[in-house]
Order: sequence, then structure tokens, then C-alpha cells
Amino acid sequence: MKSQMIDSTPGDVLSARAAYNERLARLADKTRAVWFPLAILVILLVLPLVQFVGNYNYMLHLVLLTASYVAMAAGWNILGGFAGYVSLGHNVFFAIGGYFAGMILARFGISAIIMAPVAGLVAAVFGYAIGLITLRVRGPAFIISSIAMVMIARLLFDNWHFVGGANGVTLPAPNLSSQWAKLPYYYAMVAIAAVTVWSSYRIKHSKFGLGLRAISKDEIKAESAGIDTRFYKVTAFAISAFFIGMTGAVWGEYLTYIRPSIFLVILIAANMVLMCILGGKGTVAGPVIGAVLLVAFNEFFVAMMGASELNILGTGVIMAVMLMFFPLGIVGTLALKGKLPRILNWD
Amino acid sequence: MLEVRSLCKHFGGIKAVDDCSFKVERGSITALIGPNGAGKTTAFNCISRTALPTSGEVWLDGQRIDQLRPNRITRLGLSRTFQISRNLADMTVLENMIVQARVDGIRGLFRPAISEEERAKAMEILEFLGITRIAYEDGSNLSYGQKKLMDFGALLMSDPKIILLDEPAGGVNLSLLEEIMTHIRRLNERGLTVLIVEHNMDLVMRLSDKIVVMAQGRVICEGTPAVVRDDPAVLEAYLGGADDEEAA
Repeated sequence: MKSQMIDSTPGDVLSARAAYNERLARLADKTRAVWFPLAILVILLVLPLVQFVGNYNYMLHLVLLTASYVAMAAGWNILGGFAGYVSLGHNVFFAIGGYFAGMILARFGISAIIMAPVAGLVAAVFGYAIGLITLRVRGPAFIISSIAMVMIARLLFDNWHFVGGANGVTLPAPNLSSQWAKLPYYYAMVAIAAVTVWSSYRIKHSKFGLGLRAISKDEIKAESAGIDTRFYKVTAFAISAFFIGMTGAVWGEYLTYIRPSIFLVILIAANMVLMCILGGKGTVAGPVIGAVLLVAFNEFFVAMMGASELNILGTGVIMAVMLMFFPLGIVGTLALKGKLPRILNWD
Repeated sequence: MLEVRSLCKHFGGIKAVDDCSFKVERGSITALIGPNGAGKTTAFNCISRTALPTSGEVWLDGQRIDQLRPNRITRLGLSRTFQISRNLADMTVLENMIVQARVDGIRGLFRPAISEEERAKAMEILEFLGITRIAYEDGSNLSYGQKKLMDFGALLMSDPKIILLDEPAGGVNLSLLEEIMTHIRRLNERGLTVLIVEHNMDLVMRLSDKIVVMAQGRVICEGTPAVVRDDPAVLEAYLGGADDEEAA
């Protein structure tokens, strides 16, 4: 029997191995569907043309809302998905961005859309500073510290008279007819979302992203591999704060008022986390899919069940069921099974 | 090249490493042995700063390193493996290796994760270890022996001057053991200094130039394999520990 094996198999084994290697190499180097997100972007850019034939403000609002959540979820994903540090307090940076740009608008009349990158930088500086403190712990302790961050921020903003305390500040509305009033914010938000997703793609495929992934798997190993884990983590924290801060800036002016109860509610932070988990933490397309689905579920259940608390129940049940079938998120689970449709392969 | 001076590591009242001093000469293979609980791995962790020493000094090439962070130590040319292979799941073997490669400056951070030179270098190392076939395999899908070899390969990606191997032969089969020994010897011939923690006496005796024996956190004997083999204190530590246990 032994001689038979030796006689008949070497060639077969070698060719089988060669084929197997080739398949793995192909899988590792698979082509991405870059055209698909670009096509979506183009569609979104020409979509406002529908305003010429009617009033589709509700639809534009929904796209704007989705885009803002795409930006926030993709920003959150840089820390929570790549580096594995789940934060339930990232709406603090949403608030910092919103308040900074909102106060500039209220005092100096400079549009938040122009100030958005600056607001993002301010949020990033705060993110860096906060990260230096809270990123010393990991796991459940880090999650709790992030919740504490929201509570402290809420307390501060509620009692800070310069920014209007709990009543907030009303911002001037743009001098545009209601037909066109949403457009500047629409384009700003779509642009921020696109830049965020593109950046998260670039980060994932950089040395920095590789280091973050190593940190999320085994921090001690990553550190002994020569990665400056503290610097990587804090930088990831700052970058994710930057994108969320930009979103907050535009969101504040879009709503025409800034108030702690808009920005500093746990629901916003929870939404970012849920979107990433639903779509697939640590993937590029995941936060986008998650944001689109979660906003869609919310709107659907609000329409079906009314804007009471009941619609949240509907969304919750859907989430629970989806996660039973897609434990790693939609993109993550499909990729693991090798069934990810090419149009969703943005990684 | 590596010098440990009166290193201590205490966990509460337990002195895991107690006033431990030894030297590793450049270009040598030095083994750190001792009965279970002698403090070998703890000493290792203190040298690579995975653990913070309670007191004592560690010098590498005339530079004191016990105050530095582990990533700095790795960059200075001291790399280690772990007793229980710590590989990164959901990352391919290639990525597991390249994560260990040097990254320079902020600009370097945002370069593509795997450059062609790094890929070539990693493949060359995998070739050296004879495991190129698993380059694109997920790190968590490997057999125990493959993980050991991958750890070994990842170590070499950081261009170390000295490598610390924590039980490279722990739990591997005999043929792989021979393979690993050959690799260690070949690397040593290329000028790499090696410090090994190992239980396998056969490997230690055949491979090392110098042996440091630890027992209860202290160095009890130091010397060539021949010297250590005949040292009464070593025999005492390995075979006649009954009195000590009662005393403790």
C-alpha cells in the first residue's frame, strides 16, 4: 500500500498543491469592485436634479441623514473596527464638531461647511488628548470609560452658558428657498461620507492599518513585533474623531440649532456601533451597508408603527435576527464564507 | 552583547526572579534552563519588557533597555517569540510576518501595507523555513508546528541582532524539532545571537555554547554544557528538590 502511494501520487499532489496555492494567491489578491462605490457617488451627485421636476426634500433628507451616518460609522470603524477598541462615546466628537462650527457661525457668520475641516481638527485634538487617557485600558473598561466621556461632556455642555447651556444656540438659516435649502448640506455630507470611506480604505491598506489590525488581535504580540501601540491607537482615535467632528459641524448648521440633547445622546453613539456591527466591523463596505440598512429600517418602522418608541423595538428585532444569521456582520460573514458579491468587495 | 544585572521581578510576596544576573556573548547560543517555576519565562518577559521588572538592569550593546517600551526594544534588534504561539488570526501568514517589519516615520505609516521588497523578503524567509506553501493561509488555520515556524519567520523580519526563543521545541514532534534546531544553528552561523528557554535537555545540550541554570528565581550555575551537566547544584535543583519544597 505504501509503495502504491509513492508510485501514483507525487505528480498529483504537486499539481494539486500548485492549483491550491494559485487559488489562495488569487483570493488574496482579488480584484475589487471600485466602480460600484464610484457609481453610487455619481448617482448621489446628480440626484438633486429631481428638484427641478418636483419637491423631493424628504428623499434628499434621507440621503443626507444616511450619508452623515455613513461618515460617522466609517469614522468609528477606524478605531472600533480596525483597532478593536469599541467606543460608545464617539458622539462627543460629533458634539465638539457641531458646537465649534456652530459657534463660529453664530458669532462670525462663517458657514459650517467651510469650517467643517477645522471643526474636524478640533475634534481630533480632543480625541488625541482623550485617547491618551482612556486608551490605557481595553475591553469592557474602555467601553465604560467611553460612556463616562459622554456623560461628562453632557454635563459640561448642559451647564456651559457661553454655548447656551441645555437650551443650546439657534443658528441662522441660509437664504435659500425651501426647494434648494438642503442642497449645500446634502453635497457637503455626501462629500464627507465619500472622503471618510475612501480614507478608511487607504488606512486599512497601509502600514498603519496593518498595525491596527495586529493590535485588535493581540496587543502584546503587536507591541513585541515593534509596533508603537500607544501611538497607533491614539492616532486612530484622533482620525476617527476628525471625521465625526466634520459630520457634526455640517449637521449642526443643517438643523439650524445646536443643543446637547441633539448631539450628546447615547443613541447616536449606539447607532454608529450598531451600523458597524450589522455591516461588518473592520471592513470598508460594512459601515456603509450598516448605515443604509439601519436608516432604512428606522424609516420603515416609523412609517409602519408611528414615531413612538415602538419603532425602535421593530428595528431591534430586525437587528437581533440579522446578527443570528450574520454574526460577523453582513460583509464579514459573507466574506468568510466566500460568498461576498463582488460589488460589496471594497476591501 | 546582552547583559542582565541583578534582575528582580516580584509578584506580591513571590519572588519569581530574584537577583538574577547573566551575560549573553555576541554570536553565541545561550540556553536558559531550570525546573518548572524557576523564573525563566519571567526573566525573558522582563528582558523583552513584556513584563516590567521590579528592579535590576538589562543592557543591550551598551544601552540600557529595561526602561524602554517593547516596540523600541524590538527596533534596537532584540526580538522574541512566545511560549504559546501568539499569532494574529484573520491575517495571512504573509501579513503576520510583515507586521514585524520596520516602519519609518509618519510617512512610512501610510505606505501600502505590503511593499514588494517586504513580500520578497518574507517569501525568502518562508523559503528558508520551507513553508512558502502557507504564505496566503490564515494565521489561525495553521498546525501547531507551522505556527512555531511562522513565529520564527516573523522574528526574522525585524532584522534582529539577538533573538529570544521561548521554548521553540515545546510540544513539537521529533522531525520538526530537528528542523528547528537546524534553523537555529544556521542563523547562528550567519551571526545571530540566540538566547533560548527550553525544557528539552537533548536540544539544549547539543545546541548551546553556554547554559545558564535558574532555580527559584536565581542563577545557580553557568557554563558550558559539560560543566553544567556535572554540577551538583544543578542535579540538586532538578532531582533533589524535596528539601527545598518543605523549607518553602
